Amino acid sequence: MKIGYLCTFTPKELIHSAGFLPFRVFATDKPINRASAYIQSYACSQARGSLEFALEDDFYAFVFTRCCDTLMRLTDIFEFAGKRVHNIEFPTKIGNVEYYVRELKDFVEVLRAWGGEVNYESLMESLRLYRELEEKLKLLFSLSPDYETVIKAQQIDVRKAIELVDEKIRDAKRVEKPKVLITGSVCPYPEVYKIFIDAGFSIKDDLCTGSRFFEYKYPNFEPKDLDSALRYIAEKYMNKSPCPTKHYEGDRRFEYVLKLAEDCSAVVFLLVKFCDPHFFDYPQLKEILEGMGKKVALIELEFPVVSLEQLRTRVEALREVIE
Amino acid sequence: MRKLNASGKMRELMASYYMLGHQAEFNAWITSGAPVELLYAMDIYPVYPENHGALIGATKLGSHYSEFSEKKGFSRDLCSYARCDIGCVFAGTSPIGGLPKPTFLFACNNICNTVVKWYEVLSRIFKVPLFVLDMPFIRKELKESHLRYVEEQLYDFIDFAEKITGRKLEDSRLKEVVLKSLEGVRLYSECLMTARNKPSPMTCFDAFVNMAPIVCLRGTDHAVSFYREMKEELDERVKKGVSAIENEKIRLLWDNIPVWYRLGWFGKFFEERNACLVADTYTNAWTGFGVLKGDDIISSMAEVYTLSYLNIGLDRTAEVINRLIELYDVDGVVMHSNRSCKPYSFGQYEIQKKLNVPAVIIEADMVDERAFSEAQIVTRLEAFLEML
Repeated sequence: MKIGYLCTFTPKELIHSAGFLPFRVFATDKPINRASAYIQSYACSQARGSLEFALEDDFYAFVFTRCCDTLMRLTDIFEFAGKRVHNIEFPTKIGNVEYYVRELKDFVEVLRAWGGEVNYESLMESLRLYRELEEKLKLLFSLSPDYETVIKAQQIDVRKAIELVDEKIRDAKRVEKPKVLITGSVCPYPEVYKIFIDAGFSIKDDLCTGSRFFEYKYPNFEPKDLDSALRYIAEKYMNKSPCPTKHYEGDRRFEYVLKLAEDCSAVVFLLVKFCDPHFFDYPQLKEILEGMGKKVALIELEFPVVSLEQLRTRVEALREVIE
Repeated sequence: MRKLNASGKMRELMASYYMLGHQAEFNAWITSGAPVELLYAMDIYPVYPENHGALIGATKLGSHYSEFSEKKGFSRDLCSYARCDIGCVFAGTSPIGGLPKPTFLFACNNICNTVVKWYEVLSRIFKVPLFVLDMPFIRKELKESHLRYVEEQLYDFIDFAEKITGRKLEDSRLKEVVLKSLEGVRLYSECLMTARNKPSPMTCFDAFVNMAPIVCLRGTDHAVSFYREMKEELDERVKKGVSAIENEKIRLLWDNIPVWYRLGWFGKFFEERNACLVADTYTNAWTGFGVLKGDDIISSMAEVYTLSYLNIGLDRTAEVINRLIELYDVDGVVMHSNRSCKPYSFGQYEIQKKLNVPAVIIEADMVDERAFSEAQIVTRLEAFLEML
């Protein structure tokens, strides 16, 4: 049975260990119609598109984490639309592991109430499998970023996803071309990335559909029981690649993006219209990046993407500027 | 509409409040739902960018100041309070000559997560520390773990503020401030409640105009004496049978932040149609900040501020609105779908279905007058009033 989730802070290992398929929900190619009866047009098209998809598809339940203001309200809206939901209060301020462990314990109870069985052994196996998937995706992306694969990997069983990535690693070749850093929230359309490749870029990303799905700093301990496995998850997710919906000590999010940009000639902010957290960061990040001598472009998207040709023109123009 | 004398006094009071900010040794920029009592108890002057944003909206300069931030790359889709306030920082001025530079920033996300991003921007501009008070969103029940999380942070905040200012938070002083806060909130609530009278001595526009003291001066004598006087004025109106509008036939409730640049226009529109907006969900949100359970101030504070109106699930929001509908005996609800405030607006489509009286949704923006389509709004509201 599928459990849908939208945010990469969702502890998919727990969902998996309870015997469900964690399935990342994205906007699709279909136009957004039914969702418009539930939420205003100034909600981002990822939220509206996901709701549209959820209304059509068969899920057992949906799990939300409070990230942005839209996701905060979306849980209730999904519930009003007749869906089974749970929201995990992932803290906005990164740091308090104890608090989040308590929240995860409550989530374990919810999974049990949904008929899932969470125990130490099953959770350890799920933790191991997801780490394997994440490390393999990291390897694949270091050779040749493959968005079709990473997006697919988020919607199939983790074992199958590992096999898929293994297969892709075998054929992957590193290509040296001017690098572009694509930063933003989600973009579940592989054709968009292809435009960058076609224009002669090699891609590095800071995207929630790309590297932010698999970039983690893993905790330095081996869990001994269920409680410490939950602590492991809490620490793992607090140390995941930083996201603009979270507040970090220092300016970890900016530092992270700036570091990624170091060896890139250009930075593209590929932002979904109405994605407030990213749009708040954009002006100040842009200023620093330009100070570093990077070419910066803002590309605003709405899902489904209808004007690929317009996007191609912008990307090609950027490629020419770099030459 | 019959103007309240209180509004004139409020302007004087707020003018001196803003002036004092420039003289304070320490000041903190603070979000509207944060526990300001902690600042007053340490004699740290609170500066409210949101109130400043509302003031800019009311002076119809929202788009003017927004453009300063838009030129720097801030999207027009972002919250207009944030946009025009950041715009004022870039412009180096505002209708009140700009806000004083902060000693530190204090953002509490019990109203939205937008304030966290907004204050991060400010923190980089001013190069001053930012404390984020992270409130779990209480979609269903408030859990012990949530309270503990918030309580721990309140103590962290006290440490943070003490280190920056070199001052100590004295328990007795905090208690004094909290008691004043309670008294202010009590009198403020009583003012709003006078609108239960038929006809009502006040409209929600009076409430909007006069809400600044409960937001900015909560915990001081100023708020207490201001609302005491306002209450006397309203009681006097009730005694003499003086109504806020000429001919009150329809009673309505407003939902969401007001359209600040159109307060007068809306007031006139409804009065001409014998409709009185007697109450609203926005100003009512501050009536909830006045609970002190037992002796433990910090733990009460954690509970009260975590359960703020915008930090609860939509089921409970609908319950609150239905309570207001009953309390003020209104015939309908006007819901402002506010492009600037996603947590306030998303869910309105569903809430509308759960209300015990008819409701209409109009789309606009609280400060950015470019997002106001008069013809469309008139058509909707006229159809709604006719239906009532």
